[in-house]
Amino acid sequence: MKKCGVCNKREAVVVYNHIVDDVKQTLLLCHQCASEKNIKMLVVPAAQAKEAPVLVKEIKIELAKLAGAEGDGGARCSTCAMSYEEFKKIGRLGCPHCYDAFASQLERLLKRIHGDDRHRGKGPLAAAQSTGAADELERLREELAQAVAEEAFEKAAQLRDRIRVLEGK
Amino acid sequence: MNIEDLVYNAASWLSGAGDADGMVVSCRARLARNLAGWAFAPKTTLEDQKKIIEQVLSAAQKCRPMCDAAFFHMNTLQANQRQLLVERHLISPALAKSKGQRGVLFNADESLGVMINEEDHLRLQAILPGLQTHAAWQRVDALDDALRSELDWAQSERWGFLTACPTNTGTGLRISVLIHLPALVLTEDMERVMRGLTSMAFAVRGFYGEGTNVVGNLFQISNQATLGVTEGEIVEKLSEITQQIISHEKEAQAILLADASAQVEDKVWRAYGILQHARVLSGQDFMNLLSAVRLGCSLGLIDGLPLGFINQLMIVTQPSHLQAEASADLSSADRDVRRAELVRRRWAEQRGLS
Repeated sequence: MKKCGVCNKREAVVVYNHIVDDVKQTLLLCHQCASEKNIKMLVVPAAQAKEAPVLVKEIKIELAKLAGAEGDGGARCSTCAMSYEEFKKIGRLGCPHCYDAFASQLERLLKRIHGDDRHRGKGPLAAAQSTGAADELERLREELAQAVAEEAFEKAAQLRDRIRVLEGK
Repeated sequence: MNIEDLVYNAASWLSGAGDADGMVVSCRARLARNLAGWAFAPKTTLEDQKKIIEQVLSAAQKCRPMCDAAFFHMNTLQANQRQLLVERHLISPALAKSKGQRGVLFNADESLGVMINEEDHLRLQAILPGLQTHAAWQRVDALDDALRSELDWAQSERWGFLTACPTNTGTGLRISVLIHLPALVLTEDMERVMRGLTSMAFAVRGFYGEGTNVVGNLFQISNQATLGVTEGEIVEKLSEITQQIISHEKEAQAILLADASAQVEDKVWRAYGILQHARVLSGQDFMNLLSAVRLGCSLGLIDGLPLGFINQLMIVTQPSHLQAEASADLSSADRDVRRAELVRRRWAEQRGLS
């Protein structure tokens, strides 16, 4: 355990870099001394910390690992003829139907990448606003951007209100 | 439109608007979409790609946000012209390199664009100046709505929008901010910020996105997860995290000023002087000096130099921009001379304006 550079008692958990007479100094501090010196630090709250995500370049490694556990048994997409082996190599799927063909493998992979395996975002067109409203919204947003750029704030506020109504907020 | 004319066009996302602290240059929202009934990019034939382009172009003509857009087919562009589009953040380095039937559509102020036949059939993007993540999402969302009334997207109820790479499945939304963090780099706290971001499933990348280097203390921060979260949540989370990083950067700037004000001021004003008088400037040199000047603006040391000017300078000094302006292939040494010349000229014009 490294001791705090100020109280010299508690465990040092904060690294504080500062410059004295043109020389950079690094100070190790405990929580308490750091807060007394009003040094804030970047702490990841425990609730937000999840397992580190899989980066794109790690996908292939991840795929190889998962595939071993899966025993994909030569799965192949009947639409585009991509095999699971091929997907593992290039890291890209061949067509929309691959998602069905490799559903069980992808389920685990998607969960590993995103921490979830169910879409909760934007739905199909039928559920969305009619295009008329979408066009109108787009026009209003352009006008709003223009009004803000011109610092016409009263006009901007009116436009914002109309946009909110259209968005159903 | 002649592609070289872009050099004289001021892209709206460089205006410096919405950047109260002089830190967030721009924000970008992009959506990955594929047409139902076609193979994804790795399995498409040249004939497929051609038809996909035709379909997208005919849909774009009917949709309001894109009806005045310019289209460039990659086959018709020279390497330098493609690179020019990369430098303006209109296409990815991957699209510039790839062969086959590919292209890009973008509107007059370069705030909205569509890459066709990149990794996915369509990559829609909206770029706005400053920290306007919500507005950027709304613009790309509206473009998506307009296009999908003409085109049929590949999607499933369970997994949302289906993309060639499983890292984009679901919303297909990647939202990012381009942020300048010189003080966090100087105090060596950036490593820690990056670790914090990664553990929260946010990625930190370089100037041109994936696989590019950090230059001039500019970082691109974006969401990793696209599935299991709504678009609104992704946008909200990125704004929140960006605000946090801004306050960390401000603290680091305050520490620098408190501990070493003379050194910091010296760094800023030296850069300010060198940029206006240098005769040779390498790309790396230039970006570092410009970063110091931008820091000077953030700290309030330099007054009256618009952020839009700094942002614009950052793009027009890129290699392909210099070559397009000179209408010639230039050696690296020639470019460094041209770059210094251009910076001096633009700075003189700027002084004339203010």
